[in-house]
Amino acid sequence: MLLIECPWCGPRAETEFSYGGEAGIVRPLDPDALSDEEWADYLFYRANPRGAHRELWNHAHGCRRWFGVERDTVSYRIAGSFRLGPAGSETGKGANTERDD
Amino acid sequence: MSEAMAESAPDARVDINELPGRGFLNVRLDPRDKHAVKSAEQVLGQAMPLVANTYSSGTHRVYWLGPDEWLIETDAENAAALSGELGEALADFNVAINDVSGGHVAQRLSGPESRTVLAKGCTIDLHPREFGPGQCARTALARATVLLAAGSEPDSYTIIAARSFTDYLRHWLTHAAKK
Amino acid sequence: MAAAQPNRLPRGGRIDRSRPLKFSLDGKSYTGFAGDTLASALIANGVLLVGRSFKLRRPRGIVGSGAEEPNAIMQVGEGAGAQPNLPATRVELRHGLVAHTTRGWPSVRFDIGAISDSFGRILGAGFYYKTFMYPRFLWKYYERAIRLSTGFGHAPAAPDPDVYEHRNAHCDVLVAGGGPAGLVAALAAARSGARVILADDGNEFGGSLLSCAEQVDGAPAADWVAGVVAELRGLPDCTLLPRGTVLGYHDHDFLTVAERCDVGEAADRQDHARPGETAERLWRIRAKRVILAQGGFERSLAFCNNDRPGVMLASAVSTYINRFAALPGRRAVVFTNNDSAYRTALDLAGARAAVEAIVDSRPGSGGELAARAQAQGIPVLHGRVVCDVTGKKRVRGVRIAEWGGDSWETIKSTIYIDCDLLAVSGGWSPAVHLHAQAGGSLDWDETRLCFLPAQARQSHDSAGAGNGRQSLDECLADGLRAGAEAVAKLGLAPAAIEAPAANSAGQLPIEALWRVPAERDADRCPKQFIDFQNDATVADIRLAVREGYRNVEHVKRYTALGFGTDQGKLGNINGMAVLADALGKTIPEVGTTTFRPVYTPVRFGTVAGESVGGLYDPVRKTALHEWHEAAGAPMEVVGQWHRPWYFPREGEDLHGAVARECLAVRNSVGAMDASTLGKIDARGPDVVEFLERIYTHNVGRMKVGRCAYGIMLGEDGMVMDDGVMARLGENHFYLTTTTGGAANVLNWLEAWLQTEWPELEVWLTSLTEHYSTIAVAGPNSRVLLEKLGCDIPLDKENFPFLTVRNAKLAGMPVQLFRVSFSGELAFEINIASQFALDMWRMVMEAGREFEIAPYGTETMHVLRAEKGFIIVGQETDGSVTPVDLGMNWLLSKEKDFLGKRSLARPDCLQEDRKQLVGLLSADRRTVLPEGAQLIEEAVRAGATPVPMCGHVTSSYHSACLGHPVALALVAGGRARKGETLFAVGPEREPIAVEVVSPVFYDPKGERQHV
Ligand SMILES: [Zn+2]
Repeated sequence: MLLIECPWCGPRAETEFSYGGEAGIVRPLDPDALSDEEWADYLFYRANPRGAHRELWNHAHGCRRWFGVERDTVSYRIAGSFRLGPAGSETGKGANTERDD
Repeated sequence: MSEAMAESAPDARVDINELPGRGFLNVRLDPRDKHAVKSAEQVLGQAMPLVANTYSSGTHRVYWLGPDEWLIETDAENAAALSGELGEALADFNVAINDVSGGHVAQRLSGPESRTVLAKGCTIDLHPREFGPGQCARTALARATVLLAAGSEPDSYTIIAARSFTDYLRHWLTHAAKK
Repeated sequence: MAAAQPNRLPRGGRIDRSRPLKFSLDGKSYTGFAGDTLASALIANGVLLVGRSFKLRRPRGIVGSGAEEPNAIMQVGEGAGAQPNLPATRVELRHGLVAHTTRGWPSVRFDIGAISDSFGRILGAGFYYKTFMYPRFLWKYYERAIRLSTGFGHAPAAPDPDVYEHRNAHCDVLVAGGGPAGLVAALAAARSGARVILADDGNEFGGSLLSCAEQVDGAPAADWVAGVVAELRGLPDCTLLPRGTVLGYHDHDFLTVAERCDVGEAADRQDHARPGETAERLWRIRAKRVILAQGGFERSLAFCNNDRPGVMLASAVSTYINRFAALPGRRAVVFTNNDSAYRTALDLAGARAAVEAIVDSRPGSGGELAARAQAQGIPVLHGRVVCDVTGKKRVRGVRIAEWGGDSWETIKSTIYIDCDLLAVSGGWSPAVHLHAQAGGSLDWDETRLCFLPAQARQSHDSAGAGNGRQSLDECLADGLRAGAEAVAKLGLAPAAIEAPAANSAGQLPIEALWRVPAERDADRCPKQFIDFQNDATVADIRLAVREGYRNVEHVKRYTALGFGTDQGKLGNINGMAVLADALGKTIPEVGTTTFRPVYTPVRFGTVAGESVGGLYDPVRKTALHEWHEAAGAPMEVVGQWHRPWYFPREGEDLHGAVARECLAVRNSVGAMDASTLGKIDARGPDVVEFLERIYTHNVGRMKVGRCAYGIMLGEDGMVMDDGVMARLGENHFYLTTTTGGAANVLNWLEAWLQTEWPELEVWLTSLTEHYSTIAVAGPNSRVLLEKLGCDIPLDKENFPFLTVRNAKLAGMPVQLFRVSFSGELAFEINIASQFALDMWRMVMEAGREFEIAPYGTETMHVLRAEKGFIIVGQETDGSVTPVDLGMNWLLSKEKDFLGKRSLARPDCLQEDRKQLVGLLSADRRTVLPEGAQLIEEAVRAGATPVPMCGHVTSSYHSACLGHPVALALVAGGRARKGETLFAVGPEREPIAVEVVSPVFYDPKGERQHV
């Protein structure tokens, strides 16, 4: 059973989480502009790598946050967890709970 | 329900008691909005815990549920009024305050074996060094999601769970406490 | 009776002679002592023959003393609590224990199947594949006959009466194995302040120290063990788990340990009647560091007839003598290729057994232990091997030949020695199982001739014999090293601790001896067993190679090598060595088979833990549950919810009750507990924008106070969930989901908010549990509510269909919705759950004059099916679009929403997609079976393959229409109205059906608007 680090709650057992598939699949801004092939690519095709995989997990039995995990699909070793947020940032809405006075 | 209580009674290693008369409010706000946090704290008369998996004690208990979500445990009679006060004080902020009193039931677990009983169904580390007074965690207990809080006395815990799971959890706790 | 333990030594052993325990094997009574295993008690009673082999039915005796035992497989206990397939070496004796051998049928002494031994030639590797697979359809008969005649243990038919539990635990250091290395490692870690769990398979700590005559720190080893255990017991953060077998080493340093609780003193105290007492506990441990110190397994040697009862592992012989004071034989020969068996010879001599000879394959260069043996007058035959054994049900003697160093030459025996016991040592294999399970690699050590743990992949280290250390001194020092290193890795300061000293005798290196040469060639000589439990021999492995098998995993499956309940702990390495030889490869080139959890067999009950019976799955109850139960409603399980199915009156069955409930709603009024619906409060400045993207309809056009039926699609365009949603304020909505979809939908919405559209400011809060929902439906619902006292007008003009109001009903604050899932005038009352039961009772009381019927899920289903309303998960299955359901009117053309683009994919545009229709059976009487396939011609099911054109999704008898109704998904169905199709279910004649509109009742929808 994996030990997954929730960016907020810390390490918790895998059974507290639900899996959300590959991270970084961005929804096209104008789906109608896409060909059927391009839409199918967004919809169905995933990298499914052997090795490092950035993927989404939801702390379903905990803080209910979605976050990212980099996990090796061969060794299952987890390199780290990351918060999601607006493009390029590691902190999204409500992400930072530290009080910076 | 009463049967379950009777079963656990003769075995004094663990006491399971429902905490009657509790009211609950769910609060959503962005903690980066310092004014909103301050306004809420003024109404509550106590801190909104901003450190993950902690709670503040005062007139109420305010539990951290997530980075932008809290659960306030208060007297049931007071819940609606408190909800109104908070709503008024935070009217100008982007927040959501919901009275969820009907949805939660709180139970207290105490006695020297209470940690052992919890460990039968909870995967978080309950060692007092890791999970002591002032700490709480939303986690799984057996097959239910619960909010677990370590009490100020040793070996005492509060378990807050969705109402529909109350009988299941009581059944499970009684069973676990029997052995 | 005590005199009836002919092979019990007069003194010694870790047994309690003051506590004799009676037990029986195959109906015959024996007496042993507390501290015995079933195997040691049997040996003390002179019973060595305990079974017949699986395939060849050869008589078999006890070989080992632990988890490696392949032969002494017992059925223990009787009735529902019986456990099949337990090795007698791991069964602690208890008073009244009832055991049966599992191999003999009808008994191990008389075996009609022994004839197959004579035909052993044809029962070679792959025999089952070759002989019984054809003709294929007969296999089930073959298998039954084979299983019966070999008499494998049988699983009890009744539910297991035993109680099991799970326990989660965390520690800094988990030490697996409480022998010399494990004890020192645990002590080093615990003294340094680490949280330690020490688990050992045995009933007491000490491991090999309990079975040897050595000393530690100048005192008997057992004294040293007792001191260490006492100290560990006194430390607050140290958990000791004797009888705790580490079963599995899983990802991220998660380990499982099975702790046997119903044995030893616990069993005696309760006389095995332990209602409610835990039988076995599964520890689920997350460790920061793990030290694997599980010792090693002694190997046998592959010589002819090496399976005869009386051929035992040398270490097992020592264990029976030293630990159990049980002497397995009186005239012994010891056969070895290494030093360790010399101790056994000394132990045998100390127990006054005649040691006729030590047969050592190595040339005679002497050595400390050999000198000791010779000093005791034991003849040592160097450079020789035991090449064959005489005797069938018991060893009678051994043939000894000179060993020239070539395994495959033909040799001639020159010496014959009478004996009743042959103690064999083929060297030692470290128990690398957990290391390998954890992903660690193995290295072949050419000097010690074993696989050693090499690279660790998780946070583990190995120590002691499990790390290839051979002498006690080395093991103790290695344990100390591992403990100190673990502590250092944790960042703790290692406590000062000195390595205990054992002054072990020096050892000479082992010699490579895998297959012992015989008097005939390897494929014609008497059988040389590798895997006793599966009757896999040297010849079988060679046959597999001749037939083209090269990979060790394939050879394993072809020969069944290592497939038994012992998982090849005794024979695997020998098998790999023989395979390597046959392939002309080295042992590391051949490699090992995969080590998988569990380490030893585990009871199903232990795996299940508390999750059985009423705790198998959570039972979720609504706030009205108590009332439903009191009313005698049977429950339907929906997700984890228990919902009232129907409310039978005296003498009513399901159909009677549902017909009455349906008519009550259509003609007067009914009430249903709809509390299980998912409920979400959604608000925030961007809530409209958010919901526009989620729902298919135009959310922004809804006026405050309005409700709408909404559906959400997956991005693939398929219907995911549906429900009524209401606009409570400009930026405030209330959403409902299906019962089963509640949690998923909230997660799904949060996923979009948190990962894709974090710029949208929206708060979602679940109100599923806070509100209970009471649906009041039927023409009299309005008057009923008025009678209860409502502070707002309920008439059509002020409170029209599909609107929501806050109100006070009977003085209680409620949210009131004018929505209908029955097509009738109806209201849904949302009330805080703590007040819901009061409200329900008042509704029932006020409804009495209207003969209100409480109704359950079945009536709800009938009423909605009469109206053609779908149920997500019944009419949909993840492959159904809103267009298929005829819901185009819900699809906004003005905006994008999730899944919209997919509706334009070619597959979704095809005309022959399955579409929602109604079905009427042609005779207007037959209720179609739900799930029935639809075909175009009336062909009997199974007659010939017939193309199917759809299936029945819902089917009920409609009391108010007087005939059955059904909903179905039919290819191109909307264009087929009026056509006749045929429904085929299992074992039924095709039923003619007519394709009709799915709306059977009130097609204009007037009744809900009144
Ligand atoms: Zn979390």
